[in-house]
Amino acid sequence: MHHRIRRFLATSLSLVTTAITGAAFAAPPAAKAAPPATARPAPAPAPTAGELLAAYDAVMGPVNFEAQVRMVAYRDDGSSRDYTMKVLKKGDEKFRIWFAAPSAVAGQEMLRVGDNLWVYMPNLKRAIRLANRDSFQGGDFNNADVLRVNYQKDYDAKLDPACASEQAWCVELSAKSKNASYDRVQLWLRKADKQPVAGAYYGGSGKLLRRATFRAHKSYAGLTRPGEIVMRNMLNTKRYSIMAWESMNTGVNPPASRFVLDDMGK
Amino acid sequence: MRRTLSLLRIALRNVLRNRRRTLITLAALLVGVSVMVSVRGVLNGLQSALVENVVKGQTGALQVHRKGYRQNVLASPLTLDFESEPIAEKARAVPGVQAVAPRIAFGGMLAVGDETIFLFNQAIDPAAELKVCPKRGAAMHDAGKFFGAGGIEQVADAVLVTGELEKALRPAMAKTKDPAALLAPDRDGALSGENATIVGKVDLSGPGDRKLGIVRLDVAQRLLKMEGRVTELAVAVDDLSRLEQTKAALQQALGEGYEVHTWEEIASFVVDIRNMQNALLSLVAAVFMLLMLLGVANTMLMSVLDRTREIGTMMAVGVRRQTIVALFLMEAGFIGALGGSLGGALGWGLSSWLSADGISLRLPTSDVPYVIHPFVPVQYLAAVVAIAATGAVLFALYPAWRASRLRPVEALAGG
Repeated sequence: MHHRIRRFLATSLSLVTTAITGAAFAAPPAAKAAPPATARPAPAPAPTAGELLAAYDAVMGPVNFEAQVRMVAYRDDGSSRDYTMKVLKKGDEKFRIWFAAPSAVAGQEMLRVGDNLWVYMPNLKRAIRLANRDSFQGGDFNNADVLRVNYQKDYDAKLDPACASEQAWCVELSAKSKNASYDRVQLWLRKADKQPVAGAYYGGSGKLLRRATFRAHKSYAGLTRPGEIVMRNMLNTKRYSIMAWESMNTGVNPPASRFVLDDMGK
Repeated sequence: MRRTLSLLRIALRNVLRNRRRTLITLAALLVGVSVMVSVRGVLNGLQSALVENVVKGQTGALQVHRKGYRQNVLASPLTLDFESEPIAEKARAVPGVQAVAPRIAFGGMLAVGDETIFLFNQAIDPAAELKVCPKRGAAMHDAGKFFGAGGIEQVADAVLVTGELEKALRPAMAKTKDPAALLAPDRDGALSGENATIVGKVDLSGPGDRKLGIVRLDVAQRLLKMEGRVTELAVAVDDLSRLEQTKAALQQALGEGYEVHTWEEIASFVVDIRNMQNALLSLVAAVFMLLMLLGVANTMLMSVLDRTREIGTMMAVGVRRQTIVALFLMEAGFIGALGGSLGGALGWGLSSWLSADGISLRLPTSDVPYVIHPFVPVQYLAAVVAIAATGAVLFALYPAWRASRLRPVEALAGG
């Protein structure tokens, strides 16, 4: 009897207290506003969004290529880190990267096959799965920015006259699936030659994550494309990374055997 | 003076005259006040358990960082680090500091087979950590395995993960024979990896990051290329009530380049929760009190109506109107004070009784059940009795005024 009363009292007092505690935890959900778009007059005859996206993929991710790439990541405290790597691409969805510098990452390798992405750690002597949206070597690109580049496959595109300018068309991309590395992307392509000049990348709930500037357009053995991308981190605006293509050869046809897990670390 | 005393005696006798009415009013006060006091007691117990769990299981009483670290805490920047031993040495020499535990907080990924998930890591030195956060041990499953003999010291690459992470990783763990790997950008931002063995689960002792890993400090220092360096010192103090003084002394000893924060500044959600709970309870208590006092007012009004002839007689023999007011106010005051005291005593008794065994309460924000020992401070009891008595007097103002406005002739005729 004694115990039952005590248990009853304990339970009822706990219930009152839990109710009070529970109510204290209920917080109002944060509202997110869409970024404002600046209205500009619509230009005259425009290519379709699909044509522009195809043009983007053609210069940013040619079917096969081998490239020597350098990335400099600048951080909040003003320090920077310089990476050099060899990138190899075959067909739609096969990528390899070999890091040569700095010494902390020399010997690391990356492999993409379709939606799968691995990094090979020389000290662990094995490959580890990575996610598309993870940052690429702690810089301001994510893995898919470097190792995917197939916007036609990942996004639906439509022209957006609202964000277009005098010199550039604006294409609005929305993710087809969760595998896409961003929920929404805005791309600006020059009207003169359909070369990409800028990009804005949004995450879930419409938050602006990164802004890219494509610059130093030049010809790589016949393929004209941006030579550098400056990627700004909009969540931490002191951080940015510059990726520069020192060479790019689209005339290669690497064997499929280079794009399997067993080939990593060899 | 003698007149006031005799008036008090009359008031007391009047209260005792209509026993049934007085008892009903007292019962209302008794129930209301005792529930209020015991809920306050349980909440006090809960709040002190919450604080203890946070201070002794998570934050430590004070924390030391490089200046500017807390501003960037979401990014948990590794570049705002410092040589651990010299600074810990200085901190230990400060009077009031009991123990110091070096830590690194860093974001990273835990990869098991085909599964790679993000997590927030805390790197700790197990021996030092237990001196600052002794409750950590209780929050780790199979605690003896990690912090006792043959514990985390021997499994060099041991990782403890929260239940949520463990659940997410379990299928992948069953499929692979490879050890897990901990990946993170090192101090310079380059991707780095170390082998890891998931050895157990850690329970969250309060609200916070649900994807948390705990690793050994030396492993993290190797992974992050931060040999001998840390981002945080957690500090235990001798006396929590002298926290501010110890904080000031520690800040003085470490100088400009470092910042010292109290657990209240770091776990500000605990303070927010506590304030919110207190505000809600005060609101509930105010409503309770109002209802009880309306009951008192009602009793007094009935009493006035009942005693019309008596009031008339008093006035007829020369008792002044203000004395009549005083008489009724005193009667109300008696009931309020008596009911408040009895209710307070009952509530205090209840919470002491419950405190003997402790109540086990599971909060939505914590994996570990809280064992609560309710307590009610004497000041709170005194305040409740005072509020009940003064409140009763205030609520009796109208009935008393009504009584004093009666006209003797009509009152004698029976109103």
